[in-house]
Amino acid sequence: MLTSNQSYLSVINPAVKLITHILLMMMLMSLDDPLTTFCLWIFVIIIGISIGGWRLAYLLKVLLPYTFFFVLIFWMMAAFGKGENVLFHWAWFRVTEESVKNGFNISLRMLGFVTIGLLFTSTTDINKLMMSLIHQFKLSPKWAYGFLAGFRCIPLFQEELSQIKAAHRIRGYRNYGSWKAFSRYAVPLLTTAIRRSERMAIAMVARGFTGTRERTYYIKPTVSKRDYGYLISTLLIAGVIILFVGSY
Amino acid sequence: MLLEQAQEQRMIRMTSLLGCKDLSVRFYNQKKQVLDHIDITIQDGEKVLILGPSGCGKSTLLSVLAGIIPEHMEAEVSGEVTRKKRVGVMFQDPDAQFCMKHVNEEIAFSLENRKIPREKMDEEIVKMLKMVGLSIDPDTPIQTLSGGMKQRLALACLLALEPDVLFFDEPTAQIDPAGRKDIFALLQQTSKRTKKTMVFVEHVLDGCIEWMDRLILLDKNSHIIADGIPKEILLSYKEEMEEAGIWRPKVYPAKWEEVVHNSSHPLNGELTQRYKSRKLWASCKKAEIEPIIVKKNAALAYKKSSILNNMNGSILRGEWVAVVGKNGSGKSTFLKVLANLIKLKSGDILLKGKSISKWADKDLYSMLGFVFQNPELQFINDTVFEEVAFSARQYNFSEEEISAKATKLLKEFGLAEYVDLHPFMLSFGQKRRLSVATMLLLDQEILLLDEPTFGQDEKSAKQLLHLLKRRQEEGTTIVMVTHDMDIVDQYADRVILFEDKEIAYNGHPYFFFRNKRGGIIPPLHYQLIEEQGDRYANEQSVLSVSH
Repeated sequence: MLTSNQSYLSVINPAVKLITHILLMMMLMSLDDPLTTFCLWIFVIIIGISIGGWRLAYLLKVLLPYTFFFVLIFWMMAAFGKGENVLFHWAWFRVTEESVKNGFNISLRMLGFVTIGLLFTSTTDINKLMMSLIHQFKLSPKWAYGFLAGFRCIPLFQEELSQIKAAHRIRGYRNYGSWKAFSRYAVPLLTTAIRRSERMAIAMVARGFTGTRERTYYIKPTVSKRDYGYLISTLLIAGVIILFVGSY
Repeated sequence: MLLEQAQEQRMIRMTSLLGCKDLSVRFYNQKKQVLDHIDITIQDGEKVLILGPSGCGKSTLLSVLAGIIPEHMEAEVSGEVTRKKRVGVMFQDPDAQFCMKHVNEEIAFSLENRKIPREKMDEEIVKMLKMVGLSIDPDTPIQTLSGGMKQRLALACLLALEPDVLFFDEPTAQIDPAGRKDIFALLQQTSKRTKKTMVFVEHVLDGCIEWMDRLILLDKNSHIIADGIPKEILLSYKEEMEEAGIWRPKVYPAKWEEVVHNSSHPLNGELTQRYKSRKLWASCKKAEIEPIIVKKNAALAYKKSSILNNMNGSILRGEWVAVVGKNGSGKSTFLKVLANLIKLKSGDILLKGKSISKWADKDLYSMLGFVFQNPELQFINDTVFEEVAFSARQYNFSEEEISAKATKLLKEFGLAEYVDLHPFMLSFGQKRRLSVATMLLLDQEILLLDEPTFGQDEKSAKQLLHLLKRRQEEGTTIVMVTHDMDIVDQYADRVILFEDKEIAYNGHPYFFFRNKRGGIIPPLHYQLIEEQGDRYANEQSVLSVSH
């Protein structure tokens, strides 16, 4: 997650990539035809495979859990939706033509969102993203560097959680894996996190970090023609798909 | 030569620009002052070591001199403080000093703050890495470095700030002894080369006291009780330092060469005596005892990469076993397997003749306790008493029984007066003792400990080891991961060394240290015998040549 995978897409400016993907999502949101939604989803997958460094095996592994949600959302929409043309009726389930269409659309949209998001996170380095936000979106370095420092804590957090769980298990606490137990874990987890963040903040300011923009940058992402190229061509193709398939 | 003299003269002429006069500090949430009317002046280029018992405010003093208090940490400060403009501070937690993912970005962060132009950064980064002896790809993720390497990187980041003064707040408290030796050697080398002022707070003195110019000793009421030449203070304030829990240097102020070559040196006699007792102990025949843990061709893996293979052997009832090896050799993982927290890849480990994975949690953990490296993460209750009583409640003991057992245990561990406190409020040593106590309420027969003396002062470490020893004498089997070879030598009946993904040694510590396995620094008495042995051998060969 959020490390560059050395693909072509990973050298695109992160800020531009972010805008492109947000716009793509908005396009996806505006559609009400399942076929167009499906085509747009396929288009995103094609981007991922052609220039995003995705392999089919990787894609299957990551998207498989979402197919479960896909079925779930589809069935929820299809079986309880409104509509005139009833396809079949059994017990309290009433599946209509409209609800099937609606179900397909919503669940495909969900898949599309996940895929577009994945396309971003799997090809973008977090550090470059933050630097790009500083330079292209005028984000304050205070927030950007703070976020980076926080991001480093996530693996430590996971490690600590597993240790707390193990400690509970050894002490004879039976529900160590359940959600109910999480409130027990939260206190030590938060205390250590707060203390660590305090230490980190002090270490950062002790090294001369002020949080202002008066500093130089080791990584300074710029926007080139190639980045604009990615933005324009992606949105253009998406637009053509919507126009063409939508009117078909 | 001339240059050196000129430098020395310049140093004398320079006035002190670092120090404090009548300094008092109080944190807003505490009534008592942390520092009380302190006067210190530090000369340019001086190497100063500040010592004192835990809670005496030595870290606070360092923070004030470095300017962290009151600028970045709120506190009520009175008195006069003179500071240097550019300072660098190294902290004890290697993980909490970094904010980037890769080594080069981290050093660059220092350079960015100094507004160094981008074109010069790459060159500087390479220079800094070379200066601290880190020969790694600058693009290495920081996560993959060992504790010692992280502290090296931390030093590189500080040097990149080009500070006038370097401050060190227990820089080696969280790394193993071999890494500690390394870091101190590096710091000494850096000090020689850069002639920078350095101020240390440490509680392990071996490796740093030898090259300090000055030592400042605080008592527990945060008053300066001694300030002067390290050697003299060390000799005349023995008791105070022992009370403060400072690890006494093993050789200093004596010189190792002298100790080796002069057999009438008191330390020489002491070490020889210790060596002889260990030898005797090793030759004692043990009664036949039944094994409690048996490993059968066990193999361990983490995410497909194997960690340990072909593990065979057994651990006997009532034994004290020390598990040693380099960082990442799988010591902690092995311990977790014994507690059934991680599954084996293949083979089997038998506990009392039954496969470890076949034990029900309830039966297994009433027989076996596990003490984690960080005690805070294993506390699960709001008071010290409940913390100890927790296991009993899970097993539905009667209230009187719980109370009686817990009180007895808390007394044994010196925690009886803290029953109503939150475990987090205890001192570091007390937290560690509590974490061990919680694992003994059910009279567990086996105790697994992951580096129990790590980062502790000498007093608390000795207290804990003493308690464990007593438990062992009562029949508890102890399996302990440690880096401290003196503990291994003094307490363990058996050493298991993990090396190259296998058990490289399994036997008595005496033979282990005599055969000196890779990467392990044996305790002093073994070193003495070895070096004297070498000397005798040399003399012998000289004699035979002269004949």
